[in-house]
Amino acid sequence: MIITPSFGLFFWTAVIFLLFFVLLRRFAWKPILNALGEREETIANSLKQADQARADMERLQADNQALLKEARAERDNMLKEAGQMKDQIIGEARKEAQAAAAAEREKARAQIEAEKNNALLEIKDTAATLAVSIAEKLLRKQFDNQAAQEEYAKSLISELNNN
Amino acid sequence: MTGKKRLIFTLLLLGSFSLFAQNVHQHEGDSHDAEQENLHGEEEAHGEEINVSQVMLEHILDSHDWHITDIPSGTDEQGHTEYAPIALHLPWMIYDTEAGFVFASNTHALLEKGYLPYEMSVLKLNPGVDSHGLVDEHGHAHLHDIEVFKAENVNEEATVIDMSITKTALQMILIGLLLLVVFTSVARAYTRREGQAPKGLQSLMELIIVFLREEVAKPYLGANANRFFPYLLTLFFFIWFSNLFGLLPFNSNIAGNISVTAALAVLTFIITQFNGSKDHWKHVFNTPGVPWWLKFGIPLMPLVEFIGLFTKPFALAVRLFANITAGHFMVLGLVSLIFIMGDNGTSMAGGLGIMPLSVLFTMVIFALEMIVAIIQPFIFTLLTAVFIGMAMETHDDHHH
Repeated sequence: MIITPSFGLFFWTAVIFLLFFVLLRRFAWKPILNALGEREETIANSLKQADQARADMERLQADNQALLKEARAERDNMLKEAGQMKDQIIGEARKEAQAAAAAEREKARAQIEAEKNNALLEIKDTAATLAVSIAEKLLRKQFDNQAAQEEYAKSLISELNNN
Repeated sequence: MTGKKRLIFTLLLLGSFSLFAQNVHQHEGDSHDAEQENLHGEEEAHGEEINVSQVMLEHILDSHDWHITDIPSGTDEQGHTEYAPIALHLPWMIYDTEAGFVFASNTHALLEKGYLPYEMSVLKLNPGVDSHGLVDEHGHAHLHDIEVFKAENVNEEATVIDMSITKTALQMILIGLLLLVVFTSVARAYTRREGQAPKGLQSLMELIIVFLREEVAKPYLGANANRFFPYLLTLFFFIWFSNLFGLLPFNSNIAGNISVTAALAVLTFIITQFNGSKDHWKHVFNTPGVPWWLKFGIPLMPLVEFIGLFTKPFALAVRLFANITAGHFMVLGLVSLIFIMGDNGTSMAGGLGIMPLSVLFTMVIFALEMIVAIIQPFIFTLLTAVFIGMAMETHDDHHH
């Protein structure tokens, strides 16, 4: 009846089940479980790689940031240096120009001085000559004594020169 | 409700109809003795009767014939329709302590040899066959005649071991082949679509396989999960597929056979005991934390523990068997309501009246059975993992 086990069916169940167990294990479960295991490994590796890539990316970004900062600083530095250099060049140029101008001025002044001195000398000479001639003319008229007059005139001229 | 399921229900109903029709024919015109009255119930006034419990048992029990249906084959002299069965007649393989090995290509051939292994109701003979008085004067095979035949031929002294590949065994082979086809194709999908996301059948089965690995194998078997997982997978899918096919008409309810569930439980039992750790046996024969006189004075504890080894697989076998059988009885009983209320076809109003209710209830139970069909193999697999895991556990004695 319904709850009476039959040995035949019991036996065949065990045989059939074990047979298909062996076949399924060989041709189905092993490949499936291996594939699943491989895929899980791949996924785990991929996740790890993604993490690594993200970390790398972050590091690269940090590096970039640092580089950028450095570049900016360098640029600033260069600009500053250029500015300094410009100032320096302008300063130097101005100084040079000033010096040149000063030298020119000095030269001009010296020339003027020399010219002035010359002129003064000439004026003195001319004045002296004029004075002498005037005095001579005056004295000729006034004085007959030629020799004493000349002596006096000479003393006057030397007095003039000593001045 | 999908068209496919509706088809299943229709087929189920049609299948039942045809069997009832066959039974009507088989019992028609019989002169019953007291024993047969008892077996087949009151005969109707017009000479037709349906024994609902008999028909239900026929659907539940294993058989040497894979019966599909009966088709009208003509009419007899009294004007009644004759039916010929469409069935696959399976061979008999018997070891009899008196008669030795007996082989026959089918039940008919076995009876022709004048040999009956044990008392049985042979309902599915071809009508009109002449087999040693099995046929009445109208050329019909009758249960009554077979009973007579049986009484004369069964050797009560002999022990008979029926090793036939029965309907259930054949169905199991077919289920096994289906499992092979399905899961080798799933396995092929992994190589063919390597590195790609699973698709279709592959993703469905993968879902179940991964679930079983994460929720059954790993929690209870731990480090040994990989070793026993193929066995657990085979158990689960074998029982599940069997149950699903058992719900279809014409198919055997494999797990509704106590022999089948017993064999599976015994396999689990053998695996469990052969993998039992030292601690497992110590727990059985020298349970820690129990007074010594309960172990060696009065060996109550070892006895209880020893019995416990066998009650576990016993419960395993009975649980699966009872659940599947109960579901089938429910469906068959509800379908039979139509025939009971229809008064064996005499009351059309009664039959039609109960039909909507019967169909509705059958649908509900059928849906429930679809769930049971997957829950029971899951429980069987889970408990198998639990038992193996428990037996393999090694305890640290200092904990006790």
